[in-house]
Amino acid sequence: MLHGHERAITQICYNREGDLLFSCAKDVSPNVWFSLNGERLGNFAGHNGAVWCLDVNWQTTMFMSGAADNTLKLWDVSNGKEIGNIEVMSSVRTCKFSYSANLAAYSTDTQRKQVCEISIIDVRNGDMFGSEPISRLRVPDSKVTALLWGPLDSTVITGHENGRITQWDMRVCKEINSIDAHTEAINDMQMSKEGYMFVTASKDTTAKLFGTEDLVHLKTYRTERPVNSASISPTQDHVVLGGGQEASVVTTTSTRVGKFDARFYHLVFEEEFGRVKGHFGPINSLAFHPDGKSYASGGEDEILYLNFYLWL
Amino acid sequence: MAKKKDAEKSAQAQETEKVAKEEVNEEEECNFDDPKGFVDKISDEELLGDLLSERPCETDGFDNVIVIDGIPQVGPERFEKLQGVITRMYSKYGTIINVYYPKTENGHTKGYVFIEYSNAQSALEAVTTTDNMRLDKNHTFLVNLFTDFKKYEEIPNDWEPPEPQQYKEQRDLHYYLLEPDAYDQFSVICSGGNPVQIWQNTAPQPTKLEERARWTEMYVQWSPIGTYLATLHFRGIALWGGPAFEQIMKFSHTEVQFIEFSPCENYLVTYSPNADMHNQSRVIMWDIRRGEGMRSFDPEGPAIWPMFRWSKDDKYFAKIGNNMLSIYETPSFGLLGKQSEKVCGIRDFAWSPTDNILAYWVAEDSNIPARVVLMEIPSRTEVRANNLFNVCDCKMHWQKSGDYLCVKVDRYTRCKKEKGENKYIGLYYNFEIFHMREKSIPMDSVEIKEPIHAFAWEPVGSKFAIIHGETSNMNVAFYGLKTGDKPVLLKKFEKRSCNTLFWSPVGQFIVLADLRSNGVLEFIDTADFTVMNTTDHYGVSDVEWDPTGRYVVTAVSLWKFKEDTGYWIWTFQGRILSRNNMPKFCQLLWRPRPPTLLSVEQQKEIKKNLKNYSAQFESKDRMRMTRASKEVVEKRAATMKKFEEFRTSALEKWREQKERRLQMRNNVDTDELDSDLQNVEEEVVEFFIKEETTIIN
Repeated sequence: MLHGHERAITQICYNREGDLLFSCAKDVSPNVWFSLNGERLGNFAGHNGAVWCLDVNWQTTMFMSGAADNTLKLWDVSNGKEIGNIEVMSSVRTCKFSYSANLAAYSTDTQRKQVCEISIIDVRNGDMFGSEPISRLRVPDSKVTALLWGPLDSTVITGHENGRITQWDMRVCKEINSIDAHTEAINDMQMSKEGYMFVTASKDTTAKLFGTEDLVHLKTYRTERPVNSASISPTQDHVVLGGGQEASVVTTTSTRVGKFDARFYHLVFEEEFGRVKGHFGPINSLAFHPDGKSYASGGEDEILYLNFYLWL
Repeated sequence: MAKKKDAEKSAQAQETEKVAKEEVNEEEECNFDDPKGFVDKISDEELLGDLLSERPCETDGFDNVIVIDGIPQVGPERFEKLQGVITRMYSKYGTIINVYYPKTENGHTKGYVFIEYSNAQSALEAVTTTDNMRLDKNHTFLVNLFTDFKKYEEIPNDWEPPEPQQYKEQRDLHYYLLEPDAYDQFSVICSGGNPVQIWQNTAPQPTKLEERARWTEMYVQWSPIGTYLATLHFRGIALWGGPAFEQIMKFSHTEVQFIEFSPCENYLVTYSPNADMHNQSRVIMWDIRRGEGMRSFDPEGPAIWPMFRWSKDDKYFAKIGNNMLSIYETPSFGLLGKQSEKVCGIRDFAWSPTDNILAYWVAEDSNIPARVVLMEIPSRTEVRANNLFNVCDCKMHWQKSGDYLCVKVDRYTRCKKEKGENKYIGLYYNFEIFHMREKSIPMDSVEIKEPIHAFAWEPVGSKFAIIHGETSNMNVAFYGLKTGDKPVLLKKFEKRSCNTLFWSPVGQFIVLADLRSNGVLEFIDTADFTVMNTTDHYGVSDVEWDPTGRYVVTAVSLWKFKEDTGYWIWTFQGRILSRNNMPKFCQLLWRPRPPTLLSVEQQKEIKKNLKNYSAQFESKDRMRMTRASKEVVEKRAATMKKFEEFRTSALEKWREQKERRLQMRNNVDTDELDSDLQNVEEEVVEFFIKEETTIIN
């Protein structure tokens, strides 16, 4: 159990090797932790608003975070210094490095007069980071709430507030494929280890598994509460789902009704086989350790849990 | 030929002439006559069918006339009043054109009247609705269409045997009782009847028998012994039954809200608060098999449902009125003995579930004590009466086998009059128990000082349970009865958080539930008072035993709770069988079963030889379980295989792309955690985990 944030945790992620765990919250500074013992390595100070999203590149050299202060910042992981800053017109909701980490994508909110936009930037050198993005795409109908790179840097998959999933070819800024996956907002999307499938978590109380290439619907995992995050185990046929009652009504309900447990489902049979208690607020983000032997969860209750588990 | 041509020519000439003429003089009428030899192929009916149907005929006009017989015979001095009453009653069916009262020489009416309406429909409506209507004690209207008289006068002399009706196969309404494994059925409705599902509680998983969207517009109800399923609609009620749930009967009662079956399923009582707007009575009693309305009532004010209470054999039904008790009998639907029983201050009554005895109680009035009376019907003899003092309220509870009656009496130590209302101070509670099966019906009493939350008889047997105590500290007490003995306190569970009692329909087992809060459930075997299981179903609003007492369903209904609606099935021991959470789940009802046909001796015999039977059932259960698990294994293998196919093809592609991936990540293989060992710098980090100090002597 890690206490390091003063507000609700919004997103967490491991680096490729899994020795570090990055977390961001509605307070201004993202943190980085040793995943082995939960010791805090440091934080990234500089944002002026709730940090909504984060990502780390595969070499663990660069860390990126987007916040409600209308900026996307790039940091050097080794010393925690800011190396890039992009100012946009509205909150940055999602950000992601591509496979090669030469490119990164981020999306901004539909806010006041601003329309949601997806932008692609080149992150190979800090100079590029400040200039105009390589490509920019306006998404006027429903804002992007989750974003993933397809394999090999060519496509971007976005999950939207109205439950739609769209696949874009970012080289030509064109929509390739689009499906109505959920009935309500998609809160999170995470790739499997090899990247041929991904899991979505939606407010409509379900999580679904899709094939990356043609967005084919594979599996559905049902719960009774909004799902905020879902993650696929890299080693086992397991999916972990986190969520619970909506944050706005949490104060009026006891933990027993809220259903704030992390719930394990079998990837193929869609059956729940285990729950892990702990949080007393909804879980906002979940991530499996790359070795599949532990997972981390961050919740509305400001606590980060590291759970190790053994499968028989 | 030449001739014909000539003729044509002349015809043409005529034609042109005519046209010319017309042009000259437009006022002159043209010739519409048929040419000679024209045969009219179109009949008049085809051409002017709509007009012809309205062609006047001789009997016309008489269709609009009705004859009302049985009106009071009055002299000229009261004639105007009579006229007023009749006109008021009959003008609501349509416009009255003409009224004629035949009179004797001295001006007395003859007891019948002719009324002419503006159209035949109004006349027909007046006849159907007011025939056999009672004006007062001595006058019942006999209303007929004027044309009916002619119809019945002209009955042909030679009788023609009626055509034999085609044999209509009766559906087997009781097929569900022949289910070899005695599985029970239950109905589930979601979001106000869309959809309605019928399930069979098979082991290990229930199977769905039927699902229909919008089957009902409000709710569904099983008849008391399970033959019919009633659905409520805007227009009325429909009854369904048989293996395919076909419509058996329908009753038209607009905007119906409540229905009640008589205990033997002979009659149905329906209530619609707004029926007068549709020219129907508010309460209608129907004969289920015939599908006809037998009697209707128009009670004043809001109805307390059920309005009528039926005796166990459908022979009598009774209604409580102001200072009176009205008992009606079937099939005449008239008052028993032609008058209501006058009972001053009657407050409530209840029929015995097994005998034609009813119990009622009369409130205390200044110096007259409150009374509980047991009355036998139809003789109306008081078989037992008991006077009680300091009573503010009574509740009557019959035991389901009719062996005992318990009257819960709320008594006070002092009474204050405040603002015209009685205020009672120092309440305590008595349970007066009548032993119905013993000679001269002896009585026992149990007194409890604490507030009572629930009372329930064991349906079969001689135990009852009471929940009493302050809300923070509730106790559940079980009492037992024996012939010629005082009730004995068998067991008391203290500090329980439950507020409702649910006995198994076969007795012995009971579920204590904490409804509408934390949903704590306790399953208790009252033979030795072991708590078999304590568990919970959060927010539970309904607990339903199946009719055989083998399963319990706990449900959270949308009508009472907004979240986590659904139903859970438990065994009678409190072992969970399945959790079914459904959005917008409203209600689950078990299909009732008729009472057993086995005699008490036969039942005892079965209980004695239970071991022989149970071995047989157990082996059957085991077989079913292995079959079921085999099915599950097969199903899983199939889904796994399908998924593996997808996975292998996807991984194949992934491997093909390895070259490109390597290019993208500077030829560093990152596919596996340990695939890039030469690039890893091993770093040994020591963490301080904990320090232990042990003192060694």
